[in-house]
Amino acid sequence: MLKGGIRTRIDCALLILALVPASSRAQTASPSDQETITQLVEQIKQLQQQDHDLLERIKILESKQLPASPAAEVGPSPSQSAEQTAPPPTPEALPHEWHDVHGIRWRGFGEVDYQVLNQRKPELGTGGFVPGSQGNFYTNEFGLFLTSRLTDKASVLSEIIFEEGDAQSYSVDLRRMLLKYDWNDHLKFSFGRYQTNIGYYNWAFRSAAWLQTTADRPLVMQYASDGGLLPTQAIGVSVTGAIPSEKLGLNYIAEYGSSDTIRPELNGSGQVTDENNGNHVNAGFFLRPDAVPGLQIGASYYHDQISHNDLLSGAPTPLLPGVLGPSTRYGQTIVNAYVVYVAHGIEFLNEGFLIRQTVIGGSLHFDQPAFYSQFSKQLGRLRPFFRYQYVNANSNSNAILDDVGLRYGPSFGARFDLNNYIAFKAQLDHTARAGEPDLNGLQLQFAFTF
Amino acid sequence: MGVKSITTLLLLGLAVLSLVSRGTAQAEDIAVVVSSNNPATNLSPGDLRKIFAGEKRSWPGGQPIQLVTRGSGCPERVALLKLLGMSEGEYKMYWTAQVFRGEADAEPLIVPSVGMQKEALRLFPWAISLVNVGDVKSGMKVIKIDGRMPGASGYPLH
Repeated sequence: MLKGGIRTRIDCALLILALVPASSRAQTASPSDQETITQLVEQIKQLQQQDHDLLERIKILESKQLPASPAAEVGPSPSQSAEQTAPPPTPEALPHEWHDVHGIRWRGFGEVDYQVLNQRKPELGTGGFVPGSQGNFYTNEFGLFLTSRLTDKASVLSEIIFEEGDAQSYSVDLRRMLLKYDWNDHLKFSFGRYQTNIGYYNWAFRSAAWLQTTADRPLVMQYASDGGLLPTQAIGVSVTGAIPSEKLGLNYIAEYGSSDTIRPELNGSGQVTDENNGNHVNAGFFLRPDAVPGLQIGASYYHDQISHNDLLSGAPTPLLPGVLGPSTRYGQTIVNAYVVYVAHGIEFLNEGFLIRQTVIGGSLHFDQPAFYSQFSKQLGRLRPFFRYQYVNANSNSNAILDDVGLRYGPSFGARFDLNNYIAFKAQLDHTARAGEPDLNGLQLQFAFTF
Repeated sequence: MGVKSITTLLLLGLAVLSLVSRGTAQAEDIAVVVSSNNPATNLSPGDLRKIFAGEKRSWPGGQPIQLVTRGSGCPERVALLKLLGMSEGEYKMYWTAQVFRGEADAEPLIVPSVGMQKEALRLFPWAISLVNVGDVKSGMKVIKIDGRMPGASGYPLH
């Protein structure tokens, strides 16, 4: 009966499709009529696609769950009541945007960028890594995202990234690989490789440029492999959930895991710092009050131990006089707080960080504040944005982020959504740097999902 | 009166009727419906928003909530987007992000007709959906929002 209904709908749609052009020809269609016809044809195509998807879906469900025909639709029969009191079937909604191959759903994300800087020196944190060139094309990250539901509470999630490096070589990074178990809304476990939940940006956008408004991430939120400041990856356990709090909408995050951050210096000198992180603990909370839908306020506390182990081409760099060796351990504490509002076409992100690195057994410590603020507003398909960021890393030779120093400045531009899958972004950046000339840049990007 | 006049009158009548019915539909409340055996009877507006935003994913008894929605252009979709404070494009991007974050399995199921909504509520006993109050069918249980049924003053979903 249901299939018959769908077939009738398709027939009706085709009839309309056949009649509308005929009548429009007879009446010498005006531009507005043509527009209406185009919209109708589009709607019919969408309906046909939806009907096709649903027919497929129903076939799967019938083969899995319905031994009897679903013909009886008038009121619940006793047998139906019994069926309804049985455990609920596994929810498996499948819109056509996600691709399903034998129970594995996947989606891809990619980007093609062009960047011009007003210097020939490479600058890793902004993506322009080709030495001797002021402007270059690059593809940054291409990601494949796969999920599979194992039971109604357990699932697997993975994110495989192909990241462009020097000389157009690509490295593969299993950025996330999680076995997830959602006991209920209050207790959700994830085991495996995760992105540390330090701050909002990491949680909200992960690594898909298509999801981001801007062409790049704020410097403080860049991945460590791109010269970012934070330990962004770890292997361990992450627990999240809602705390019963009525209209406050309180949620918690707790993580315990192992990282091994290797971050290249921002100036592309080829020198990297292998931090040899010890196990970390990260705890945080965020609230989404009912009174202001779209508002999210959160904070987190992260702690681990790291080393200042500088390497050049895999070999330790010679130590300068007065510089502590790689055996010295630093206690690293990262405190984050954020206030974010995303609703009614407005995106207003504000995050602050304090990164403290203290020599264990000594009094030497470095406090390094950072923040960014980003505002954008959707105007039809266009989303103009403005961002201001500030990082004040200590440039003392004993500081682990000494290559970063003081950097601040605005970025502005716009994102234009060509359709639901492709966005074009243009962004201008101005970065003031302590002890170096100001850096200006233009970034153009096609970000897409498929 | 000639055949031409009768045809013109009929066409005019149909046009007026379609305008009147359209006006009535626009003024109608949107009901929140669940399967008839779902024990839920009332939701706060905050909980309703959290459910349709995928932030609240299980009923108080622990059963997973299955969202069933209508496609773009339907009054139920308009009410849903109004509830979430999003445009259609933002809604699609929001759900892509939810899945990418690991917060959801997929974008909510979209069905193209009320009959299929009813069928979905039968297939998924823990589903929830929005239905134009005039289209509520047997087997659909209407639940209150903040203690108000559709049609009551102060009912928030239109």
